[in-house]
Order: sequence, then structure tokens, then C-alpha cells
Amino acid sequence: MGCMRACPTHAIRVKNGKASVISELCIDCGLCLGVCTTGAISATTIKFAELTGFKFKVAVSSPALFTQFGLRENPAHVARALLELGFDAVWEYAIDIALIDRAITDCIKTWPGPFPLISNSCPVVVRLIQVAYPSMVEHVIPLEAPREIAAMELKRKYSQELGLKPEEIAAVYITPCQAKAISILQPAEEARSYLDGAVSIAEIYNDLLTKMRKNARPPDASTDAVSSGELLHWGAPEGEFPKLSREHYLPLTGLTDIMKVFNDIEKGRFRNIEFLECHACQGGCIGGNLTVENVYVARSKLLHLMATMPKPDCEFEKEVERRYAAEDLSLRGSLKPRLTGGEAIDLRERVMRRKRAEELVRALPLLNCGLCGSPTCRNHAEDVAASRADLQDCVFLSLDRINQLRNLYKK
Amino acid sequence: MSVELLRESFDIQGRNFDKAGEVSSEIKVILRDLFIDAANTRRTVIVAYEGEMNVVMYAQRGTLTLILTDKDISLEIADEGPGIPDIALALQEGYSTASDEMREMGFGFGMGLPNMKKNADEFRIESQVGKGTTVFARIRLNADG
Repeated sequence: MGCMRACPTHAIRVKNGKASVISELCIDCGLCLGVCTTGAISATTIKFAELTGFKFKVAVSSPALFTQFGLRENPAHVARALLELGFDAVWEYAIDIALIDRAITDCIKTWPGPFPLISNSCPVVVRLIQVAYPSMVEHVIPLEAPREIAAMELKRKYSQELGLKPEEIAAVYITPCQAKAISILQPAEEARSYLDGAVSIAEIYNDLLTKMRKNARPPDASTDAVSSGELLHWGAPEGEFPKLSREHYLPLTGLTDIMKVFNDIEKGRFRNIEFLECHACQGGCIGGNLTVENVYVARSKLLHLMATMPKPDCEFEKEVERRYAAEDLSLRGSLKPRLTGGEAIDLRERVMRRKRAEELVRALPLLNCGLCGSPTCRNHAEDVAASRADLQDCVFLSLDRINQLRNLYKK
Repeated sequence: MSVELLRESFDIQGRNFDKAGEVSSEIKVILRDLFIDAANTRRTVIVAYEGEMNVVMYAQRGTLTLILTDKDISLEIADEGPGIPDIALALQEGYSTASDEMREMGFGFGMGLPNMKKNADEFRIESQVGKGTTVFARIRLNADG
């Protein structure tokens, strides 16, 4: 029942000892995954072995990966270990991040409103808005996520250089969370993802570590795919786009805090803020639940890396310049509120159900114990009013229910 | 003719900035539970919030009433406040009688009433100086609510 209690959108019910998800309400945040003790919930990432059908495999690694190892293992070591694992190339993702940084800055300048604009790189935030803050979909910045434009560009580049078809090249995201894996399978804006799948950091962590321990010599320039400190802003809790002016820019992490701010925005507050950068995981992407290292240790590594990494060279700047002029970074498709089913019912019936739920909730203890199988008494009343549950599932109203539960859960 | 489906009233406490905004939050939850479409919910909540803040800033107490019919959403915000001597002036963008204290809290830019008017399909103010003000706003629903 931990999963049901953890779910921020109250999407889970537990009936007869089995959890089920109301998929229209699920925002892929993974909080249920983090508390599941039975292994009933798992992430939809792929395994490296599933990529055998591709002729050329390129890793697009979340910068969170580089924060997962000791201080001696710098990003170049990690990149080399990725190659040893079987990837044919490690993409220099920092350029895509710099591109989106520029695109965001330019978008803010010409944006007609409504403000604040909200970042969309965290898929959980995008889904939270679609499901729980539908009136705010217009606040979500209409740009592609950096990982998407990375995949698009790497397919273009390598198909040209190697004479392969784009579909023979795998663009694989190394992901710190299940949400980004799901966003590849089911993009919120209903366009098709350029990425071919996501491999979890936790899944390849041990292999990478072993390879790095075996091969301790410093990597040479040819495999040193990751050279710029810029890369490491991505996934940092302090924000991804440090060039924005502090007064008009707020970085937020953690769903609880994000929801507090969204509640205020919905009322029309925060219009003087231009850009909100939101990451559902506490501490940002380095706190994702497919990472291995404790978020505070990872953060300390991140700060160390940012302080010691070299500044991007002029080749880097030139490439950013070239691609910024050449590429369309605006979001393909458009973001719409997610319909959760209730809209189809006649308005009168909706009002009736609400009134019924209001009456029913008075009969309930309001302790939100969850033993009925709904996360709150209010949810139970609503479920009953919509004929999805039996009022007598409440242990306060039916002693039979306690005996039932005793039989179900006793060890 | 429209048929009234729901009517709920909420008390607003004047001068209580700690609780300010709670009534509009409740309105939002009701509309969301009723699956009212996003654009209409947004407009209603903005009107409710600005109206609620006006009561909090200027009056001792007030009431916000939400009335839902099969055709529209109405908000009636009535207060026992100082009243508005010149309604046309009060509706001008940027006109404000807010104190420095209110401005420091981020209010009082003279956008409250104009913003309410902009977000409503029908908007009306009745006011008596020394007695209070009542604001009516109506937001029409689309065919599917």
C-alpha cells in the first residue's frame, strides 16, 4: 500500500491485495517505484542487449551519470567505459544543452505570454501539468528537450558520415529516471521521439565501474568525448540555464514544492517570473530513482566537476553557432491537457456525483488510512459516487472488511 | 433558460494575508473535480483570486459565491468594505489605491479589477461608499462544459 500512499496524483488503488493504476492520472514520477517492496513495479527502460538490431549505437548520456562515481573517475573515464561496454560513440551532449539554453533565452525575449514559461525537460513536470494543472499547458515552453535534438542531430551526422540509414543508428539515452524512458515511448506532445530507447544508469553502473577499475590509465583525446564543463550544468539542482537573470528565473526541485508554486501560478501569481525550471526529483536529475549514488554525494561530485572541468573551446562555440542557425528547435506537435475521462459525462451528472461524494465523505472517518484501497477518504467517496467502489470497503463501516484484510495480509 | 446546478458560498476574512487565496484554491478544486475545461477554469480562478484579494486588502469581511448552471459559471463577491466612489476610474488599468504595505506584498498595481473584467464574459460592479462593494462576473461554458 506504500505505492498508493506515495502517489502524488492519487492514481493508485489497492483492491484485494493488488495495486492498480488509473493510467489517465499517472504522471510517471516513479514515487511508487521507489517505495515498492514487492517488485511489482518496474521501470520501462531497455537493456543494452536489446540494441543488437542496430549497426551503430550512440550513447547520449544524462550528465547525472558522471556524478555517480568517485572523484578520480572523470567524465572522460566514464565515456571510455561506455565505449568498452559496446557503444560505438558517446555523443557530446553539451552542445545540445547549450543550443536549448540559447533557444530558451531567445524564446523568453519574444514570448507574448502567459508568464512564467515552464521548462519541459523533466517529463514528470510536463505530465503533472497535463493532468493536474491543465489550465497551465500554455506556460510550458514550446521547445524540444536537448536529448531529442541530440538524437536528431547524431542520426543526421552519422548517417552521412558512415553511409547508414538513420534507422540503422541507435540513439540511446542513459537515463537517471524512468520518466525519460517513458517519454521516449510515449511523448507528451504526441510526436515521435528521435531516441530509440533509454538504458538506466543503475542497470549499467556495475559494468561501468568494473571497466573503469580495470583500465585506470587516463583516456586519450580520441575517446575523450566529454570535454566541456558546460555539459555538467544539465541535471544540476541549481539550474540548467545559468545565463538567465536571477530575478526573473526560479529553479525548483521536488514535486511538493513544484505543486505549491503551480497552485499560485494557477491563481495568476508569479507573472513577473519569466522562467521556471522544474525538476520533479528532489535535487534535480542527479536525484533520479535510477541513479545509484546518494543525491548529496552526487551533488558534491557535480560541484567538484564543474569547478575543475575546462571551459568550452572555440570549436565548441562554433558548432553551437552553426547548429543554432541551421536547426529548428521548436517543439514538434503541441501539448494539450490530458483528458481524464470525466469530461465525457453530462455536466449535471458530474455535479450529482460531486454532491453524492460530499455526502458520502461525511460518513467516513477522514483518517485517510487507505485500508479501503483508496488513498484518502475523499477518494473513496468519489470512487463510490462514480460506482467504482463499495462504501462498505471502509473498515469503520464494516467489520467484515477487517477480517477480509486480516486473511489477505497475515503472514 | 439556464438551470442552476450548484451554489456554494465561502467566507473571506479581510486583512488575513496568511489565508489569502484559499477560497480561490477551493474554487479551483471544485471546477477540476467537475471536469470543467481548462480555459474556463483558468478564467474563473483568476477572477476569484483577484476578487478575493480585493476583499482581503480593503474590507473587514466578504463572501464569494460560486453559481454553476448548465450554461455558465457565475461568481458573486460581496464585501463590507469602504466602497468604490468612482467605478469607471477603478476599472482603468494601473489605477490603484493600494497602500505601500500592499505594494510591498506584490499587490496594488491597479490590475485587479481590469484583470477580472478581461477574464469574464459579463462583469458588473455595484458599490456604495461606506457600505461595501459587490462584484458579479459570469463566464460562459462551451457546449460540452
